[in-house]
Amino acid sequence: MEDLRELSTEEKLKIVTNFLLNSPPGEINDVFNDVRVLMANDPAFQTGILDALREYNTEQYITVKLPGQENEVIVSKFGQIEDDLYLDPRSHQAFRFDHMHQTATEVEPHPPDESTELLRNAVDAAITDYVTDHFQNGVSSVYSTENGTLTITIVDNKYNSPNFWNGRWRSTWLVNPESGELKGNVKVNVHYYEDGNVQLDSNKDIVVSTSTTTENLSAAVAAYVRLIGKAENEYQTALNESYIELSENTFKSLRRSLPLTRQKVDWDKILNYKIGQELANK
Amino acid sequence: MSEQGDQIECALDLMRRLPPQNTEENLSQLVDLVPALHEELLNAVDQPLRVAKCKNTGRDYLMSAFNRDGDSFRSPWSNEYDPPITDGLLPSSKTRKLEISANDAFDTYREMYYEGGVSSVYFWDNDQEPELANQIKTGFSGAILFKKVGDGGRKMKGAWDSIHVFKANERGRNAHYKLTSTVMLYTITSKPELGDMNLSGSMTRQFETDYQIDEPSAHIANIGRMVEDIELKMRNLLQEVYFGKTKDIVNDLRSIKSLVESQKQADIQKELLGKLMERKS
Repeated sequence: MEDLRELSTEEKLKIVTNFLLNSPPGEINDVFNDVRVLMANDPAFQTGILDALREYNTEQYITVKLPGQENEVIVSKFGQIEDDLYLDPRSHQAFRFDHMHQTATEVEPHPPDESTELLRNAVDAAITDYVTDHFQNGVSSVYSTENGTLTITIVDNKYNSPNFWNGRWRSTWLVNPESGELKGNVKVNVHYYEDGNVQLDSNKDIVVSTSTTTENLSAAVAAYVRLIGKAENEYQTALNESYIELSENTFKSLRRSLPLTRQKVDWDKILNYKIGQELANK
Repeated sequence: MSEQGDQIECALDLMRRLPPQNTEENLSQLVDLVPALHEELLNAVDQPLRVAKCKNTGRDYLMSAFNRDGDSFRSPWSNEYDPPITDGLLPSSKTRKLEISANDAFDTYREMYYEGGVSSVYFWDNDQEPELANQIKTGFSGAILFKKVGDGGRKMKGAWDSIHVFKANERGRNAHYKLTSTVMLYTITSKPELGDMNLSGSMTRQFETDYQIDEPSAHIANIGRMVEDIELKMRNLLQEVYFGKTKDIVNDLRSIKSLVESQKQADIQKELLGKLMERKS
């Protein structure tokens, strides 16, 4: 039978961390409150849970408004300067992020790397236009990353807890200007939870490339954004088509809406039929 | 509220939020975390049904919390536990008789609606439930279970699990039925142009009604009609939520069409309409 041995604090934190990392979009606070009560050891929980929150916030591209500013900034590992200090590459500012409360403080200027800033800035502007054109609540950040690469992150959240649903779209594109290769990943998560728990967990890796080099900077930037837009449109079309196929084929073959006779079951007949059969067998 | 009451509430809230794709794993971790909630959680959280083969009849049946005693499961076809136990809980002979005809009837129903899959019906007498010692003990309760796994064609895997749990209380020539129905629907698709798509979960509905019982077998027809009605309702609901609602949310998050272009067209239409109204007035 079950081993009822009490787990160590570390083992409990491991479970609780896994639960937190699996929080649906927009429900991290609900999951946090649940696991806190279930762990029933607040001092260990409060110190041990910070790593989980840091991982959740940066993986899920949580957005934050810098104090006194209107636009939102993505918190991701690509912008991590040190510990809880993150970069807003667009405004050339660094800020401290409180992973527990999802707030930003200590905003300071953070000068960009001049050797890559020209390209980064041009891609940022073009991606911002693209995001405005396809995402109602989209937020994006473009980071200068290792070996002259750029990393584009896009996130769009729709939270509607009064109607029991939440959703998140995340895109990540690693651009290699030298080879013209773009490596992308798109993730879509939807949670519907009125009298149930239904979730979409969707994820695709994409590789595309262009022969346009950064010698012609504006042409290269246009090519990147065109490729990203095309790939994301194709992905979304495939997702919509899959929905139709699931509904028309997979779902229908699991259970009919009515029997082949197009009539509901005649329960009195079923019982009599069975009883008749039993008598005949005797 | 007591600490444990708080904890069970939080555990159930958590299970409504964690990915239904991993229900079994989440539940087992939850039990590891709070062992005191073990029994309560196993009874309150529906898990995907597992199929076993009856050693006596060779027929498939479904394993669930409703035919479990310790580590053994009772076959609805033979009424015997596997692995065998001597003191396993069994329905009274009157209830077992009804259970046998219910298994037959729902097996026919299963073939008509599912065209495959496995069904199992488990009944137990209300006086077998210790926590109900002070309540009405007449009547019986039961679980009607269906499982159908798709053929996995078109690189799409699917599975449907229905769990209908009812309680029937007899009051003279009438019976009061209380039904709780859960359908778990799993779909997994993997294709080059799509990547991996997992659309899964469960939905639950409750229903209460009174029916006449002129003879004991009337119970089965009554329960049959209730299950048939609620499955039709839930099938429509699942269709709407899975393939309508969550799809709409995806297309709310991102628009394939240009939002700027759509806005422009809306503005032009508005302007035209405005001019048209001006001319009319």
